[in-house]
Amino acid sequence: MSSHREAPEISKDPVADNTDVYAFVSPDNPNTVTLIANFIPLEGPAGGPNFYEFGDDVLYQILIDNNGDGVADITYQFLFQTTLQNPNTFLYNTGPIGSLTDPNWNKRQLYSVTRVKNGQTTVLAEMLASPPCNIGPFSTPDYAALAQDAVHVLPSGETVFAGQRAEGFYVDLGSVFDLVDLRPFQNLHINPMEAAPGVNGTNKLNVHTLAIQLPKTMLTRDGSNPTNPNDPRSLIGVYASASRQTARILVPSGQGQVVESGPFVQVSRLGSPLFNEVMIPLGRKDFWNTQSPNNDKQFLNFVQHQEVPQRLAEYYPTLFPNLAAYSKPRADMVAIFLTGIPAGVVAPGYQTFTGETLADLLRLNMAIAPTTAPSILGILGGDFAGFPNGRRVFDDVFTIELRALAGVTIPLVDPTFTPDAAASKFTDGLTPSDISSAFLTSFPYLRVPYSGFDNPSQ
Amino acid sequence: MKTLTRRSLLQQVPVSAAALSLLPAMPALAAIHHSPKAATQLSAKSAGSMVVHVNNVATGEMTLLVGTRAVVLRDPRIVACFLDATREGGSA
Repeated sequence: MSSHREAPEISKDPVADNTDVYAFVSPDNPNTVTLIANFIPLEGPAGGPNFYEFGDDVLYQILIDNNGDGVADITYQFLFQTTLQNPNTFLYNTGPIGSLTDPNWNKRQLYSVTRVKNGQTTVLAEMLASPPCNIGPFSTPDYAALAQDAVHVLPSGETVFAGQRAEGFYVDLGSVFDLVDLRPFQNLHINPMEAAPGVNGTNKLNVHTLAIQLPKTMLTRDGSNPTNPNDPRSLIGVYASASRQTARILVPSGQGQVVESGPFVQVSRLGSPLFNEVMIPLGRKDFWNTQSPNNDKQFLNFVQHQEVPQRLAEYYPTLFPNLAAYSKPRADMVAIFLTGIPAGVVAPGYQTFTGETLADLLRLNMAIAPTTAPSILGILGGDFAGFPNGRRVFDDVFTIELRALAGVTIPLVDPTFTPDAAASKFTDGLTPSDISSAFLTSFPYLRVPYSGFDNPSQ
Repeated sequence: MKTLTRRSLLQQVPVSAAALSLLPAMPALAAIHHSPKAATQLSAKSAGSMVVHVNNVATGEMTLLVGTRAVVLRDPRIVACFLDATREGGSA
């Protein structure tokens, strides 16, 4: 998955598990950028009575590097507090929830937003309401309106949302983890079966989303408005993290008391989709999660020498002879994931290069305007406003990265290489049409979550 | 010599800590610029308590976790007292 359950330890701590990060120039408000960080993978919509929620003991952060050193210059922190209106019922709600202050809503979450910028800490808002989970037509009869009320415009200029959303990442999980037996190509797999359409393994599941929209001028290093794609000031690198306090003690008092103490320790991070998932080996994934991006030079070897191309050649022996024979370090992967793509490599006016510091960041050139005719394949589809220039909610990052790993981006840095014909066609066969509802055209862009009453359904 | 109970031992900790040189705390971890808001909100849950982790019994190095801070100190004498207390078989 993008980063769902991608490492051994964080897979046991879903509340703190980053799943996806998005960063894009807002298509309906192009003077702003939208940053989204999702947590809590694979939420079953009917998972009550204690429906999914953010962790009160987790420090959630969205971090922005705007000078290319791999260190956050601007950080947005989100802290949650759960309140129980009536401890004498087992129910999440005792009647329909008609508003964010409805007394029928028993268990609710409030949160604060704090900005750390250039070492200065500012609490931007407190006691902001997070919407309830989408329970069903009787409990949450007008969910869209309820969630819209949880979009908060802050006096400092940011717009924020924190709450449940429908999963937007689409991928055929079942086939990927069955030795990359991608259904449209499984007739060519070493275990051949009749080719078939892909199946979206994340369909009708939910996640929890932190979203923030803010003017571009609040993100550039000097407050300038980014208009020149070749200007280094137009670039930002984004990642998200979750941290827990050092110690957690279950006090043997019989009262369920928990003591948490000490500095926050990062337990999960995510910049580029699938980075930790497929590039970092199992024995190093937990460690990777604790590291800051500016230390990613230590993982360079894993980026230069990837396992996926080897496996593709192994599982599809007739499809990737050129890839199998390619033994040079993957400089294309280093550029895409660790430095950004320098100017002049792809096309005039396109670059995501943030400097020589090797850091896994989701890089966004804010001077590249959103397009009215986007391609879900981003750069591979000739759409420079999409991944790996940031990431939009509908980008098919699985296929983009799969094809890049299969060799289609090697010629950008090594013209002597000819990609195998299959590389530019390889896919799990999914598009956004394999998601059961459409993305929103405005903030927070990810869809209203699936309701527990309707999902799963017969 | 006066018998040292765990209660009296723990009461001594702040005095001992103040008298000792403090070591840098956890430099290897990813830097997290936690805000005062974060510190206040989360440390309130553990108000009135402190977690002590003895990193190395042989050297007496330990980490005191207080609120959202960590203070590393080295005091073999205190760690020896901890060991004595555990040998006494004291219960929680």
